[in-house]
Amino acid sequence: MRRRLPLLLLGLLLAGPTLAADYAPLPGGTFASVLPADGKTAPAILKRFHLRTEPVTNAEFHAFVKSHPAWRRDRVPSVFADGRYLSQWAAPDTLGPTALPRQPVTQVSWFAAQAYCESEHARLPTWYEWEYAAAADATRADARSDPAWRERVLAWYGRPSNDALPAIGGTRDVHGVRDLNGLVWEWVEDFNAMMTSADSREQDGADKLKFCGAGAISMEQKENYATLMRVAMLSSLKATDTTANLGFRCARSD
Amino acid sequence: MSRLLSTMLAAAGMLALAACTGKQAADVALPATAAAAPLSAPTDFGPPQGQPIHAVLTSPPNVPPAIHRNYPAKVIVELEVIEKEMPISEGVSYTYWTFGGTVPGSFIRVRQGDTVEFHLKNSPTSKMPHNIDLHGVTGPGGGAASSFTAPGHESQFTFKALNQGIYVYHCATAPVGMHIANGMYGLILVEPPEGLPKVDHEYYVMQGDFYTTGKYREKGHQPFDMDKAIDERPTYVLFNGHEGSLTGDKALTAKVGQSVRLFVGNGGPNLVSSFHVIGEIFDRVQQEGGLHPQENVQTTLIPSGGAAIVEFHTDVPGSYVLVDHSIFRAFNKGAMGILKVDGPENKAIYSGKEVDSVYLGDRAEPNLHAVSTAAKANAAGTLSKEDQIAAGKQLFTGTCSVCHQANGEGLPGVFPPLAKSDLIAKLVKEDKNKLIGIPLHGLTGKVTVNGTEYNSVMPPMTQLTDDEVSNLLTYVLNSWGNPGGQVTKDEVSKVRAQPAPAPAAEH
Amino acid sequence: MKRLLLLLALCLAGTAHAASPLPTDSLYQLAVPLTDQDGHSAPLATRRGTPQIVSMFYTSCTMVCPMIIDTMKATRHAAGEPAQLGLLAVSFDPERDNVDALRRYAAGHKLDMRYWTLARTQPQDTRALAALLGVQYRKLPDGDFNHSSTLLLLDGEGRIVARSSIIGRTDPEFVAAVRKLAGS
Repeated sequence: MRRRLPLLLLGLLLAGPTLAADYAPLPGGTFASVLPADGKTAPAILKRFHLRTEPVTNAEFHAFVKSHPAWRRDRVPSVFADGRYLSQWAAPDTLGPTALPRQPVTQVSWFAAQAYCESEHARLPTWYEWEYAAAADATRADARSDPAWRERVLAWYGRPSNDALPAIGGTRDVHGVRDLNGLVWEWVEDFNAMMTSADSREQDGADKLKFCGAGAISMEQKENYATLMRVAMLSSLKATDTTANLGFRCARSD
Repeated sequence: MSRLLSTMLAAAGMLALAACTGKQAADVALPATAAAAPLSAPTDFGPPQGQPIHAVLTSPPNVPPAIHRNYPAKVIVELEVIEKEMPISEGVSYTYWTFGGTVPGSFIRVRQGDTVEFHLKNSPTSKMPHNIDLHGVTGPGGGAASSFTAPGHESQFTFKALNQGIYVYHCATAPVGMHIANGMYGLILVEPPEGLPKVDHEYYVMQGDFYTTGKYREKGHQPFDMDKAIDERPTYVLFNGHEGSLTGDKALTAKVGQSVRLFVGNGGPNLVSSFHVIGEIFDRVQQEGGLHPQENVQTTLIPSGGAAIVEFHTDVPGSYVLVDHSIFRAFNKGAMGILKVDGPENKAIYSGKEVDSVYLGDRAEPNLHAVSTAAKANAAGTLSKEDQIAAGKQLFTGTCSVCHQANGEGLPGVFPPLAKSDLIAKLVKEDKNKLIGIPLHGLTGKVTVNGTEYNSVMPPMTQLTDDEVSNLLTYVLNSWGNPGGQVTKDEVSKVRAQPAPAPAAEH
Repeated sequence: MKRLLLLLALCLAGTAHAASPLPTDSLYQLAVPLTDQDGHSAPLATRRGTPQIVSMFYTSCTMVCPMIIDTMKATRHAAGEPAQLGLLAVSFDPERDNVDALRRYAAGHKLDMRYWTLARTQPQDTRALAALLGVQYRKLPDGDFNHSSTLLLLDGEGRIVARSSIIGRTDPEFVAAVRKLAGS
């Protein structure tokens, strides 16, 4: 029984998605983040990494669940995903008419996203990697000072989400990555490192005893409230949470 | 062993606290002074009694019924955040973030001393996390720290309503100004233990400023504009979230002879409101929701993030307009609502229009035709005495007749007569320039006309031109038994060019 | 972090030491391997059967973490020192907190190893364990950590029965929960 286990596992692993997803290289470097590394002003330092060019779709996640049935919504333990996990699908193993194959998959928890990324021999991007990638537009790596960049990001926040989720297909940015803004919120590996106070008016890092070490992070570039809202969103989540607007994509270290 | 451990633990706790905060761990007690009594804390009404009550919440402009309870209870409040697109004005849509599906959010009514178990739900269709800060809560963030809720989730926290009053609640998630600007505010009333005095109508009105990228009433879907919000340049200033929310068939209603109480809040995010009801005086205002009311108030200031309770009686029928008296907001940005009062008239209090008569201001003659005829004739060099008299007669009404009366008889003891005036007769013969000087420079001091002494002030008629003066004087000279004659424009111009004579010495 | 897939598959295939399937809300579903101060490695789920007080710390933390440890000690004491209660503290900092560091820390804080365990995960598993426990942490450029301080009480099946963020003194409600669960 014990001997056969590794073989079983190997089989399961190899049964993963055969169609390789596209990953684009991003150079990294130093980057002025809204969450300074030391809680005050230090820039983020990023190593070169690869980022999935598109968020994971319903079709891709469906294939993953088929080959890893422990992640079906009727089998996954509640410590890994809440009650709304994959609730937009018609059945535990069927997408159905309202969950289109090319829409980004939503209603997935952090654990589920991690597991999927492992199946692609990847991981979730860190917040810095994500923020760095999302700062790009079609021609520049850092377009955040351009009001048009901010407007584009905000236009999505301003729209309610009762409409059907659009499919993937936004303009590719300078790295070749698309749909980081304007489609869905996306998980990051260190979503629980945000450590901003639940009451965002507190300027002097929250409850010092609660977040000791230097206090909760204050958010720099307060005028860049487009990114602020994303941080607020991520810091409201627990690892088991799923929402109708939250998906993910994966990253790989170099 | 255990006592040592606890002591060490406590000491370590103090030290760590000091290390973290960098302050002295020991508190310094303020020395007691004999003179001032300490600030008294609000009464604690004790633990909740009886069965838990599910609070009835209402949508604006309605208010939940008054509480008839004489003990503190546990009250369960369930409020859901819903992000939805609604019209902000005719043909203009906006994405609102709401408490309970409305702007302002649902009205919450509890009693002082109640223990409120607050459930904040965030609709699964929401994009954003939200929380709530209730100004009536004593506790960190007003509840905001304990209610941060992701979409599709629910948070719960409990607080005791220690202070009575009318309080604003709003979302406090980053960026706070945007959440408020999108409509995330409402009111919670904490009734005093004895309740509020009974009135016939209670209504819920809340002002807010809105910022869109497009102009006022520009059609289509309008997104929120952060730059305008930061610069405090609102596009709309509205009662209850939408233009027309309190007008037409949505107007507030009352009958004559009733009492009305308005709970008026101001969600902001930026503007202070100068709240006024046109045609009414507030008998009683709890300014800023405070305990001690002011009486007989015309316009009351409601701070951003504040509220007031105003009360008044209706006496006569009509449409009473609720406005922010920073008046361009009412007429150009939409800060207007109506209270329609029906019932019998009461002329003793307000009569409506009684008299419509002619008011003769300067140049009151409706038809100054003769004046223009004379002017043309003068220009053509064909001006006749008749033209002058006709023009002068028209000019006389309104300019001179006000004091000297229409037939030149003057006012005994006050204004000298012009009719059959011996002074005019004398001056036109002996000192015509002096006569001309009177309308030009005025006349002050003692003067005797037809045997009566007058000591008054006639101001200079600086508004008259030279030919107007010449026409007037010609008319006067040829009216009411005066000797006749003519004054020309040139004669007037010459006198005008002279310096004015010194006023007659007063004795 | 390659464990999630493997470990979930493990659950499915049925591990030898699980007599009955784990409840769906049991933290032991995440069978992340822990290495303790003696160098022994075992999945988290081996603690099944005994109630646990669990928290996270790191050895070079000078301010709050010693208080976390002391609070756990004090809580056990306040609950009447029950025999059937494990105390587990897992490090945020597996890069620096090797077995040696853990052992020295245990000795330095005079922990009774009959019921105490200090442990580390593989670096790639730390985040998943923290997410499971609901603990937030962030590594700072100087190697220190920002982190929240939470004590969790797990029942024999690995379900969370109580949580407390109070450190520096015992939390009466948490202590009461420990008493109820572990007896005295």
